[in-house]
Amino acid sequence: MDPAELKKIGIIQQKQKGLYAMRLRVVGGDLTALQLKEIARISEKYADGEVHLSTRQGVEIHNVKQADVAAAQKKFQQAGIEMGACGPRVRIIVACPGEATCRWGIVDTKGLAKKLDAEYFRKDTPHKFKISVTGCPHNCAKATENDIGVMGGILPKWEEKECTHCDLCVNVCPTKAICKEEGQYKLDVKKCIFCSICTALCPTSSWVVEKKGYSLFIGGTMGKTPRLGTRVADFIEDKNKLMKLTDNTIRFYREHGRKKERFGHLIDRMGEKKVIEEISDGV
Amino acid sequence: MEFNIAKSINLHDVVCPMNFVKTKVELESINPGEILEIFLDEGEAMLNVPRSLKEEGHKILKVIPIDGMYKIIVEKK
Repeated sequence: MDPAELKKIGIIQQKQKGLYAMRLRVVGGDLTALQLKEIARISEKYADGEVHLSTRQGVEIHNVKQADVAAAQKKFQQAGIEMGACGPRVRIIVACPGEATCRWGIVDTKGLAKKLDAEYFRKDTPHKFKISVTGCPHNCAKATENDIGVMGGILPKWEEKECTHCDLCVNVCPTKAICKEEGQYKLDVKKCIFCSICTALCPTSSWVVEKKGYSLFIGGTMGKTPRLGTRVADFIEDKNKLMKLTDNTIRFYREHGRKKERFGHLIDRMGEKKVIEEISDGV
Repeated sequence: MEFNIAKSINLHDVVCPMNFVKTKVELESINPGEILEIFLDEGEAMLNVPRSLKEEGHKILKVIPIDGMYKIIVEKK
């Protein structure tokens, strides 16, 4: 098979002639125990008995001989494991566990990651394109380092009724967004990172959730020229509305991105304001 | 505000979850309605111990920052 075609599905020529790395399609780092056993068996048979975990939750087997690639690929297919992606296209969707198991998780990350995967995985783009979903502003899944980053968040609101004025909120807020003025707690929304620490910790639940949803960041990248993602919108409740924004984002990048130009660098070239206007149009 | 402190515990350099384990042991030794004073480091401890106290129904009355640490005044359930 053509090496360029193989690369598209994550079968990558190693620097050693005749050897390939095989990258698998994993969504949000989730695999079943059965799939893991199957990956182990395939590695023992066709690779070197080792499994490599990539920096973005991908699972790979390395050192597969060219003659074994097709057989290994078939075995993965039979186990219900699809091949991954490499090159200028949408890569594996990364996600933290989110509200499913994490005490800080604000939103559903796994369901959204599956939706994003179904919609965009392996879609061609001017350069590599990475998507991540993180459940809250602790940002474990590094939403701000991805071309599209989705982050759960809440807007807190103080209600005086049950409040005992213990000052825990003032002291635990990580950005000092809460202060006390004339006996009243005040939130500085500009400083607030929407993390939910105040609402989760308040002993009398006097800090309540006023708004909750997904925040969208675009144009984050690490690599040789790092750039953190630009915040586009906050507290998006509807997954379909979010998907309209991500649709527009990827379409915009496909239309305007130059070959080998990461999305964040396109944003810097065209200007954040213009890009945000274009992708928010009609949403 | 003055509090009638029944017991005090310094949890400087005691990491999670041991800081809450030690807090629970101290709370065992006082009566409901009595007050425990806890000294906690900033960071992880401040995120976890107050949350666990809330979950167990104890009442945080005051939080006072002192030299990179916090003094937590808790009333036992």
